Amino acid sequence: MHARQNRVSELIASYILFEIGSTTLFFIGAKAKQDAWLAMLIGAALGFVLVLFYWGTYLMDPKRNLFQLFSHYLGKWPGAMLTILYAVYFAYEASRNLRDLVELAAFALLNRTPLFILTLLAILVIGNSARYGARIALQLCLALLPVVIVSYSALILAIIGKGMLRFEYMLPVLEQGMGPVVQAAVPEIVSFPFAQTLLFLVYFPLISSTKKMGKSFFLTYGIVALVLTIVNQINVLVLGPTLAEMMTFPLLEVVQLIELAEVFERMDVLFVLVLFIGLGFKVLLFYVGAVTGISEISGTGYKRWVIPVGLFIFASSLTSPNFSHHMWVGIDVVLNQVYPYIQMAIPLLLFLVMFFRRKKRLQS
Amino acid sequence: MTTKTLHGQEQQSSLPSEVMQTLALLQRRLGHSSDISIRKLNWPEDSSPFAIVCHLNGLVDDKEVNQMISNINQYVIAKRENDGMSVESLLQEVLPGKLKAIRDEEAMVQAVLDGRTVVLIDGLDTAMAASLLGGERRSVEEPTSQTVIRGSKEGFTEDISTNIALIRRKIRSADLRFEDRIIGRVTRTRVSVGYIQGIANPNVVQEVFARLDAIDTDSILESSYIEEFIQDSELTPFPTMINTERPDAVAGNLLEGQVAILVDGTPFVLILPVTFFRFFLSSEDYYQRYDISTFLRLIRLFSFFVALLLPSTYIAVTTFQQEMIPTTLLISLAAQREGTPLPALAEALLMELTFEVIREAGVRMPRVVGPAISIVGALVLGQAAVQAGLVSAAMVIIVSFTAIANFVIPYFSMSSAVRIIRFGFMILAGTFGLYGILAGVIPLLVHLVALRSFGIPYFLPASPLSFSNMKDVFLRIPWPKAKYRPDYVSEINKRRQSDSSGENPKEKLGD
Repeated sequence: MHARQNRVSELIASYILFEIGSTTLFFIGAKAKQDAWLAMLIGAALGFVLVLFYWGTYLMDPKRNLFQLFSHYLGKWPGAMLTILYAVYFAYEASRNLRDLVELAAFALLNRTPLFILTLLAILVIGNSARYGARIALQLCLALLPVVIVSYSALILAIIGKGMLRFEYMLPVLEQGMGPVVQAAVPEIVSFPFAQTLLFLVYFPLISSTKKMGKSFFLTYGIVALVLTIVNQINVLVLGPTLAEMMTFPLLEVVQLIELAEVFERMDVLFVLVLFIGLGFKVLLFYVGAVTGISEISGTGYKRWVIPVGLFIFASSLTSPNFSHHMWVGIDVVLNQVYPYIQMAIPLLLFLVMFFRRKKRLQS
Repeated sequence: MTTKTLHGQEQQSSLPSEVMQTLALLQRRLGHSSDISIRKLNWPEDSSPFAIVCHLNGLVDDKEVNQMISNINQYVIAKRENDGMSVESLLQEVLPGKLKAIRDEEAMVQAVLDGRTVVLIDGLDTAMAASLLGGERRSVEEPTSQTVIRGSKEGFTEDISTNIALIRRKIRSADLRFEDRIIGRVTRTRVSVGYIQGIANPNVVQEVFARLDAIDTDSILESSYIEEFIQDSELTPFPTMINTERPDAVAGNLLEGQVAILVDGTPFVLILPVTFFRFFLSSEDYYQRYDISTFLRLIRLFSFFVALLLPSTYIAVTTFQQEMIPTTLLISLAAQREGTPLPALAEALLMELTFEVIREAGVRMPRVVGPAISIVGALVLGQAAVQAGLVSAAMVIIVSFTAIANFVIPYFSMSSAVRIIRFGFMILAGTFGLYGILAGVIPLLVHLVALRSFGIPYFLPASPLSFSNMKDVFLRIPWPKAKYRPDYVSEINKRRQSDSSGENPKEKLGD
């Protein structure tokens, strides 16, 4: 029965949830102020180049996932080292998103509950979902995608319908030339959220049909990039560039401003739940990726590593003493200094090695 | 002595030819149970019987048994003169087609217990049994647990043969097959598996038989025994099989490629494999206009969410997220809750538990005192509790609406699942608010997505996605447009009707 393998629709759904994930939570490209949309588009375009490399890597060997590629093409020991590195990277990304989720919960819903408890509940729920493995994780994304799509559509419609958009906030375009825009885009926006697509090298080989996959995947990438740009720009259009930059969770402030018929006044509380879904799935997908890597390197079963990896994610999400520190580590340390190597240099190296070995094989 | 069977094989008989010896054998096995009737036939001049007829009281049709006895008499008188008694001629002349030869003790004992009438003839080492079933049985009545406004009013009965006939009457196809198994070492219950050859997925049919054959238990008293033995996962609150007492529902599901399991002694027939959303479809949907049916399906799904989440959402919002409530409503809620002593969670748990108690009492108590419960229940849960200041009026509304929404789900097994899960959600909502509700919804969803019913994903068609199946889940499209059977369940023979079906004649009338 064809329920045993994942289908393209599930991959697409999880990619959408993954990319939306934590992106809409923040105002991305704040350095570019009102030109954030330009920065987003540049970031998406450059990210697309990276995604093309990832896709090329997958196409050259569609049967192996990222970790299997490492050990197969880069040798046993370097492959093992890289597998561990990437498993840790995925687990760390999961823990960052988990922290985002918990901070959001504490900010919007439960500001008197200790972070520890909120994190524990979240990791229990996500760990329970991860326990079923990658196949169910992808199917789960598909089941929840309609909720997310309907909520975001309703949000955009309500904002437009209430006439909350003020396009004069977008002026002047390129106030200080292309400089700040490019600076905002590279490497931050390229790296987050677009280059995180790297994770999907773990999931691509699970999909049964590869024929229509490329086309649908790139179409999804385009649409998601566009939607993210629009949602991101809504922050500017409603709050103005200064306010958008200052807010912790600007989109929540935007949603709070929506008032419909004096009944739906505090939609932000409901919208937080939608944000939770996006964030939670991002955690889940990174989590499953990390567990897959660890079980690959250790040669033991998948389920055995769900709890240890969960504990690691749980612990490392609590390392930052407060949210500002968490954001500082996220943007200034890892994103600018570590991720360029992980998301660009090493995958490029892998791509080149695979490319030349393939060429050599074709010649001989 | 050896006799020839129908297949021409020589078969040794293990029964004695002396009739009293055979009877002693039978009585040794059955004991002297008072419900066993033994009728000895003898000549007036001879005290030893030439034939014995044995059956259980109340399970046979006495008229037919008497008819058979007179046939035996005639036969023996006729044969006495030329002395040519043989099993073959007996089988053919006494009750052609109905009488079967039995050659060993075990089969003879079982024949009596199955309600068949066993005939022993002196001088023959072969017993014979005829199925002359009769006795008191409930007649076909309107189903009590699944009622409809339009559609067949027939319901299954406790008798499996009647039930098979009820299905056969609706599907007169040679491809409709029933295969029997006898399950239960002590009860020896007849279990019949029905499916339509060429529509049902052969893998599922095979799997059903494999799982049925693996059952080794002493008793099967209801189809729920079978359900618990063969379900995919025990650790689930959700039913992975539908039980129905409506023959038309079974017929409709068989035509979609599902398999039915009938169990003797219960009017509830199992249907499998099923998906989650099937539990929100009623067979009546297909007898009403499609637009209202679609609307009703959406209402049922909505009721499912209400029954599951309304009390917990109320708790979460009033305890943690009061800012969500519009100001005027908030003021009136606050005024109501001012006098009540308990926190929202305790209040809701108390009211829900009270309701469950009243509901259970309503099921168990004698019919005559029925009205008393409704009066006391309505007063206790409603007016009096509010006036006494124990609970707020809003909570009464929430609990009542939840209870009513629970009854909208057409299948009792699914609404029972909701009843249990609701309490978990209430506790989560009372401790973590909306965050807790989400922390309950996600594991529930993972569970639904991971669950399988005989290899079919339980959460079809939402995940994995199947647009063609959605046509008959969230919507009810008109019959002429429903050209295919749903995916997954039936993998072969998907087409239901031709493209032109139901279109041409109308065009001509248009002018």
